[in-house]
Amino acid sequence: MLEIRNLHVTVEDREILKGIDLTIHPGETHAIMGPNGSGKSTLANVIAGREGYTVTEGEIRFDGKNLLDMDPETRACEGLFLAFQYPVEIPGVANLYFLKAAVNAIRKYRGEPPVDAMDFWDLVHERMELVKMDESMLKRSVNEGFSGGEKKRNEVFQMAVLQPRFAVLDETDSGLDIDALKVVADGVNALRSPERGFLVITHYQRLLDYIVPGQVHVLVNGKIARSGGKELALELEEQGYALYNEEPGRARRAAA
Amino acid sequence: MTAAAPLFSDPRRQRFTEFVANRREPDAIIRLRREAFDRFETLGWPTRQQEAWRLTDLSALQSITFQQPADALVDVETLPTLDGPTHRLVFVNGRFAPGLSRLPELPDGALITSLGQAVTTHPERIEPYLDRLPGLEQHPFAALNTAFWEDGAFVHLPRGTVIKEPVHLVFYAAGGDANVHPRLLLMLEDGAHATVVVEYRGQGRYLNAPLAELALGSGAALHYHQLQEESPQAFHLGAVQVRQGRDSEANLHLVSVGGQLARVDLAVLLDGEGTRCALNGLTLAREQQYGDYHVRVEHARPHGTSEQRFKSVLDGKARSVFDGMIHVRPGAQKTDARQTSRNLLLSKQAQAHSNPRLEILADDVKCGHGSSTGFLDPDAEFYLRARGIPATQARALLVHAFANDHLNQIRLTPLRERLARLLAARLALDLVEGESTP
Repeated sequence: MLEIRNLHVTVEDREILKGIDLTIHPGETHAIMGPNGSGKSTLANVIAGREGYTVTEGEIRFDGKNLLDMDPETRACEGLFLAFQYPVEIPGVANLYFLKAAVNAIRKYRGEPPVDAMDFWDLVHERMELVKMDESMLKRSVNEGFSGGEKKRNEVFQMAVLQPRFAVLDETDSGLDIDALKVVADGVNALRSPERGFLVITHYQRLLDYIVPGQVHVLVNGKIARSGGKELALELEEQGYALYNEEPGRARRAAA
Repeated sequence: MTAAAPLFSDPRRQRFTEFVANRREPDAIIRLRREAFDRFETLGWPTRQQEAWRLTDLSALQSITFQQPADALVDVETLPTLDGPTHRLVFVNGRFAPGLSRLPELPDGALITSLGQAVTTHPERIEPYLDRLPGLEQHPFAALNTAFWEDGAFVHLPRGTVIKEPVHLVFYAAGGDANVHPRLLLMLEDGAHATVVVEYRGQGRYLNAPLAELALGSGAALHYHQLQEESPQAFHLGAVQVRQGRDSEANLHLVSVGGQLARVDLAVLLDGEGTRCALNGLTLAREQQYGDYHVRVEHARPHGTSEQRFKSVLDGKARSVFDGMIHVRPGAQKTDARQTSRNLLLSKQAQAHSNPRLEILADDVKCGHGSSTGFLDPDAEFYLRARGIPATQARALLVHAFANDHLNQIRLTPLRERLARLLAARLALDLVEGESTP
């Protein structure tokens, strides 16, 4: 469902991604691991359509459609979801209002009428329990004053309500203690289905104990250095990324 | 470019002489008018060489010959209403329109009526109080209002009187280059409570130069709302004066959306111990609109609290000015005075000027001010779009969130809801019924 071919991306004239190939089919969960600065978040942002990234070569197809031609809202309406590494605080916009606006925007795109108020309320309550979120968070402004864990839970909660067909989780584990990590992972696992694909981006193997991927890719210096099964994550945990850190520039920086 | 014509041929003086000759008023009121007109002549028409008028460009006004207002008919449908029972006074071109007004019964001693009538029926209640509040002595348009006011509202609540229904004062100007000077004199004696909504509206081109005097006795409480929705061609040069007695509470909400040029000078004197004052201002301006608040909050006694929160949302080539002074007199210890000015620019040509000023002459006070001006947060916009919300709706939601925070301070529900609809309409935003943002 997601096909990335020879993707080259620059940010402010610096090449960050240097030829990525990746195919994810429905029902598959892939993990991308890599050291800081390897281009993991760039990949997530390019898939979601954030400004400031220039694709100089290659393509991304989503169900055969050219994803790079779509603006971010169209991608979301097509069934793509990005769980943000740094969820944004939006003072003055209530979480519930925001979610309903998103649900209705997606329904409108599909030619469906606005969601029934009772149905929406039932869905929200059911999904809130999935991520053990307190009802008070619905009335609060989007992410405003949320703890790091609450923000990440809110991302998974939004995903559970919007029910995308493909989700990218960008370092959803960062800043979570083990209990919060389990809650978030349970929420993701509950959504896993034969129709849905996931791309889990993480720095640490720990998350992959709970969200077990079918395939693991190691991203180093803008390229996929290695791909393998879930055991690759364990190997990385033991050996670290040092094995892949061959670029002199990066090594110097690490030493400094 | 000052209007320094010789006095004897000054058409404004001639207009004034004719105006007072036709007024049937007690001598004391006529004397006030003459003093005020002399004061205006001493002050002169404001120029941009004066610090207080540096950013306010009045040149568009000076090329227009404004007229004394005439009687005019108004389409009732264009007059704003508030749901629920109100004490309602309507003024068209500065003149009381009894047929459009509605005044329910009042508690003993309370008076809500036309000021023009009250100067003859209740001179003892007016003369000692009219034009007595300090703070705007240097304001030429306040002086012109005292010289030229034809009518306005008089609200007098004796000690301990509480009226629950809002006092709704509608001032409508009917264009024709009229220069209207509506007046409001409000006196809440000790412990009195009132909620007031003042609305300025009109059609065509005119100059509205209203003046409101709000006096609060000890322990009095006032919720005052002023909604400026003048016509797009109109000029609005208004002034509000407030004096607060001990332990009184004044909450002022000012919303400015109309007019090609709109300025309000606001002077608050916290003249008793333990007074509390909240000033909230919101300006929505677009195209070539200019919106300006000049605020002076003066703490004269200890233990006073004041908070100024002013916001503007500017599109097109609109400009806004916020000039806010906090003055703490010697001896006004334990003052807690705060001020923020936040401006949201929706276009690169829009401009916001923010000029916070503090003069603190006491040594045991808490005073703070903050100011920010910026564009919409692109990260927030992307976050909303990444959830499927179209770009235009995402931007409208963010603007709404910025401005709605102001509206949520308004406790008068029918007004708050009307303003929320006005804001949503300006932003072309469909608000989900009953689920407006917090």
